[in-house]
Amino acid sequence: MLTDFLQLTVAGLSQGSVYALLAVGLIAVYTVRHVINIAQGEFAMLAGLGSAWLVAAGMPLLLGVLVAILTVTLVAIAMERLIIARVKKLTPLTSIILTLGVSTLLQAIMLLAWGPEAKGVPLFPGTNVLIGGVSIRSQEFWMIGALVIVGGGIVLFYEKSRWGKALRACAEQPVAARIVGISPVTASILAFAIAGFVGGVAGVVASPIYLSLWSGGVLLGLKGFVAAVLGGFVSFRAAIVGALLLGMIEAYVAGYVSSGLRDGAAFLILILVLVVRPQGLVLKPTAVRV
Amino acid sequence: MTHATTPAFVGTRSTGARFWANNKATLIGCGILVALMIVVPFTASSSVMNIVVFAMIFALPAIGLNLLMGLAGQVSLGQAAFFAIGAYTHAIMLTKLDLPGPVAATIGVLAAMLVALLVGLPLMRLRGHYLALATLGLGFIVMIGVREWDVTGRTTGIYGISRPTVFGIPIDNSGFFLWFVTPFVVIGLILALNLTHSRAGRALSAVNDSELAAESLGVNTYALRLKVFVLSAGFAGLGGVFYAYQVAIVSPTTAEFHLSVSILLMVVIGGLGSVWGAVAGAFLVQFLGEGMRDVIPAIFPGATGEVQLLGYGIVLILVILLLPGGLYQAATTLWHKLPFAGKRPPGDAHAHTPGSASELDTTIPQLPLVSTPVAAGEPILVIEGLTKRYGGVVAVNDVSLTVPAGSILGLIGPNGAGKTTCFNMISGALTPSAGTVTFLGQVISGRKPHVAAAHGLTRTFQNLQVFTSTDVVGNVYMGRYRKGRAGVLRGMLGLQSAEQSGHRAASYEILQSMRLTDAADDSASDLSFGKQRIMEVCRALAAEPALLLLDEPMAGLSGAEREVMAELLRRLRTAGLTIVLVEHDVAQVMSLADHVAVLDDGVLIAHGDPESVRNDPAVVVAYLGTDLDEAEAELTELEEHA
Amino acid sequence: MKKSRLRFIAPIAVVTALALAGCSTSNLGGTADADPAAEAGPIKIGAVLDVTGVGASLGVPEQNTLTMLAKQLNADGGIDGRDVELTIIDNQSTEDGAAKATSKLIESDQVDLIIGASRTGPSLAMRPIAEAAKIPMISVAANVAIVEGSEWVFKTAQNDVVVLERILDDAEAKGYTKLALVRDATGFGEGVAEYITELGAERGITLVMTEAFEPSATDFTPQMTNVRGSDADAVIIWGINPSAGLAQKAYVQLSVNKPVYHSHGISNQAFFDAAGEAANGVVAPMGRLLVADQLAADNSQREVIEQFKADYNEAYGEQPSGFAGHAFDAWHIAVNAIEAAGTDAAALRDELEQAEFTGVSGVFAMTPENHSGLDASALILAEAEDGRWNLLKD
Repeated sequence: MLTDFLQLTVAGLSQGSVYALLAVGLIAVYTVRHVINIAQGEFAMLAGLGSAWLVAAGMPLLLGVLVAILTVTLVAIAMERLIIARVKKLTPLTSIILTLGVSTLLQAIMLLAWGPEAKGVPLFPGTNVLIGGVSIRSQEFWMIGALVIVGGGIVLFYEKSRWGKALRACAEQPVAARIVGISPVTASILAFAIAGFVGGVAGVVASPIYLSLWSGGVLLGLKGFVAAVLGGFVSFRAAIVGALLLGMIEAYVAGYVSSGLRDGAAFLILILVLVVRPQGLVLKPTAVRV
Repeated sequence: MTHATTPAFVGTRSTGARFWANNKATLIGCGILVALMIVVPFTASSSVMNIVVFAMIFALPAIGLNLLMGLAGQVSLGQAAFFAIGAYTHAIMLTKLDLPGPVAATIGVLAAMLVALLVGLPLMRLRGHYLALATLGLGFIVMIGVREWDVTGRTTGIYGISRPTVFGIPIDNSGFFLWFVTPFVVIGLILALNLTHSRAGRALSAVNDSELAAESLGVNTYALRLKVFVLSAGFAGLGGVFYAYQVAIVSPTTAEFHLSVSILLMVVIGGLGSVWGAVAGAFLVQFLGEGMRDVIPAIFPGATGEVQLLGYGIVLILVILLLPGGLYQAATTLWHKLPFAGKRPPGDAHAHTPGSASELDTTIPQLPLVSTPVAAGEPILVIEGLTKRYGGVVAVNDVSLTVPAGSILGLIGPNGAGKTTCFNMISGALTPSAGTVTFLGQVISGRKPHVAAAHGLTRTFQNLQVFTSTDVVGNVYMGRYRKGRAGVLRGMLGLQSAEQSGHRAASYEILQSMRLTDAADDSASDLSFGKQRIMEVCRALAAEPALLLLDEPMAGLSGAEREVMAELLRRLRTAGLTIVLVEHDVAQVMSLADHVAVLDDGVLIAHGDPESVRNDPAVVVAYLGTDLDEAEAELTELEEHA
Repeated sequence: MKKSRLRFIAPIAVVTALALAGCSTSNLGGTADADPAAEAGPIKIGAVLDVTGVGASLGVPEQNTLTMLAKQLNADGGIDGRDVELTIIDNQSTEDGAAKATSKLIESDQVDLIIGASRTGPSLAMRPIAEAAKIPMISVAANVAIVEGSEWVFKTAQNDVVVLERILDDAEAKGYTKLALVRDATGFGEGVAEYITELGAERGITLVMTEAFEPSATDFTPQMTNVRGSDADAVIIWGINPSAGLAQKAYVQLSVNKPVYHSHGISNQAFFDAAGEAANGVVAPMGRLLVADQLAADNSQREVIEQFKADYNEAYGEQPSGFAGHAFDAWHIAVNAIEAAGTDAAALRDELEQAEFTGVSGVFAMTPENHSGLDASALILAEAEDGRWNLLKD
């Protein structure tokens, strides 16, 4: 029984790492632009399908993955410049419709480019490990590792670096941010770049075992959103904890209740949290924290 | 729409003519729609026919979503969930319980509305993004629910739904089906159109412009939004009922996210807030989808599946970037560019105004009505221990005050003294950390602003809260909200035109009392700052309040305008109205007010008649922050200057 | 403003509409062209297949097969000199899509017979529509519920019961008494657990656990973890590709280490694409198509299978799958019946009820009671090894 529990926990943590990276991207954009980017999940799928295609076309794995992540980062920046920045007054309504439009458009492009089938990047190098009956796939180490390095790196960037601090300031006080030396325009571009980058990383590390599908981004992005909500939509650390928690809850529901109800659990949590404690489970509803 | 017939003209017409005048656009539009739908089965090819049938089916959820998004400003990404609930319930009632069609359909629609009510009760407290994503989550939950439940046939769904029979005629081809569905769409359309023009519809669009102002005028936004959410689900459920009939199977695809997106697209293309737009959008999206499915594989060989999403995505982005008002905006812009357009039909709003402007200067305008249920001098507003803390900062500290009816209280103090915070706590916009506000014997602190408004307390705002989507008279008209009674249902049935014309007349009278009649039909956002401020006062007065809270009513006004305002306030006081005003113009306050209260750093440092407050050394020091003599000199100078 | 605009448009619209109003009544149930049952003009066959979506690995070869056969038939002069007009509609692997497509084929294309759909769910959705319109329909999906008690619906894929019998016989022979089932959550997997319990009882086999997965699933850790923790002797994975192949991969990765059976839903190359090396050792019952080269020389199906494989390979440059075979059989059974009975729906249905055909999936013998026509002899047991199937037992 314990073996099963640990096995499910491993699956939950690795899946949760992907949600965590997406949540980081969502929060990065939200704190600066007050836009909830529905296309966040599509960034992940785009990177997954893109690198799968590049690798299949003969590019070395590492190069293919890097090119895909970089491209997705550029796509995110393009989305900011060409679409989001063009709207003078972003209301929740317009921002939702716009990012939904981008999400739909990216889905269609992926469908046209790579067809309706799910595709996977080849497994990253490494060996599967069997500890006390619990099998940990090498790719799961990569997924958790990606969160530690990239997610941790972003948190450090926000807390330690001058630009990161300025971004935080931008969220709280645009005028103060300008004094620190970052214009709202730069901040917005940077936020989208971060969103694209983490989305891309999440997409490529998850692709070898969870596969990438043109239409899979919405659900994945929503899971990231659930995690971000658990963290009150302001704190990276809280959102990462929330994401790992969400991944584990999903795995337990799938393992002990029914695999079909897995996604239902996530959204039930979402609605419960929004209704009972919209400020998030982890933090008090004070100003923006990062 | 805003230039509806004025009361003066209404009186001279027969009921039939009035009905025609008020509903001409609706009647003609519906007539054309019905005519087209009668003809289409004879002329259209079978594939066009198919598109038209589904467009009519999806027009229903689109109309519902349009009410929710356009009118109530709430984004729902889960409209398909209610569509699916309607379809599934209908299918289950038909196939498993063998209920007759009309009964099954009714239960289907009611089921969608019931679920909306249950989830709306908590969800309607959410705003903007959060509501949108919660509804998106709801959509997924419904899809997963029907997929995992035996009663809903799991992944396969419920099949074998037989076609309906009307008067013994089986509806077994798409032509008959179109005729079967059209009356329902037309009825839904009329109900929705009526709603947008009703008291509730106006209130909703006011809420969209400024929730705070609308609530201060007595609009219970939460209840109203919930009602529209439920109504919108009802439309979706009805769409689902027809879908189940037409497709003969209901599967989890009916709850899919992509369906919610395409319904949202119909609303966005058609134009947020335009009911006709939603219907047009439904047709456009169906044709667009079908067209894309034909065109894309030709451009990209081998493309299969839901390729129409390419068009959907592009259109969503482009419409918001280039044409935020959708087709409706495009159509109205085009119309105004036509040479014969722009002339207002006779009998429209301007008709009654000639002469009134010149009369204004000579005659004393009629005074707006006030309603004070207590005798002058009795306490009308009692504030006890009112305190507001933000973290460690105390913005308002233990303020206690009693305001007697029929008097003017001036609340003054330096910037940041907590005056507006105090106002916000009195009106209900803020919840006090401690203390109570009692108005006419009712504790109103900590309740929403509409509660205070319902008891006769209205206010204006330091930062203007203008309803920008309507004209000046429309703003003032909103002030009448509290005096009306027609709810969502009466609004939809169009049973309130008499009530409405009465309110409109009253609105003009109030504008006249502030000499704003000339601007009555201008867009509220085009007014000068000072005029907007006066308009806000008119709006608050339109509610016939017992107590009026004015937050800096003189700011931005010209000297002449100040005189008119001051004179009006005095006359209102004489008529029995109680007024509390925050004002920077100390001289104005001193000359107007019966009592003056002084706040400094959140603390009430003086309260009494103007003379004693003026001479209170603490006030002078606190207020001007300098030594006593200098301050007094400054104060005198200020007063003389004014 | 809008009022007066409408005043201008209204008369124009009405006049235009009336001018357009011809006398076409095909949208009102009338027949614009000839009576569909008339013995003239082209014979219309409609097909509703899962060309895209989760059933694409089934629907695409089926589409290829039907297109190829229709071309061949018309090149050979059609049926009694009448051309065959084949209309294939993609249902996008959805039940709604299948139902809409069926209505369209019946109402606007006025077909004489319908083939499809590829999977059980969409086939079930089509059944009542075909029955209401009294149009014969031949499904190429597996679940016996598609044809049970139907007057108008037939099918060519081997019944799931027959497949399960084959698996359970083998399990009994090997001494397994406890089985775990990991099944497709859609129509294809429905009823399988009940059949195993029922058929297992007489063989001393019990079903100890059932897990389900969506055909769109990519993660199978929870299901396989539970299977690993169970005391089952062997496991049946019941699904179609790619999900069944991915499930097999997870099964090996999570070291479940129990013998595994699959259904006939995996008899295509997509299984090896999805499962990779993890496919080795999998045992599955299937038709003879994929092991045609290993059949006894005197096997009655050998000739038709080899001819079909050659034709398909020539047309599309690849080997056909078992699903292509189901479409091949459906087409020939339909064409044979039309040749014998014409396009009158009732006559055609009566003819289909006595169809006999040696096909790719087996030797068919339809009766009014049995609209499936295949028994356990249609299946062989094969084992996967290095990307190909080895005949275990004929």
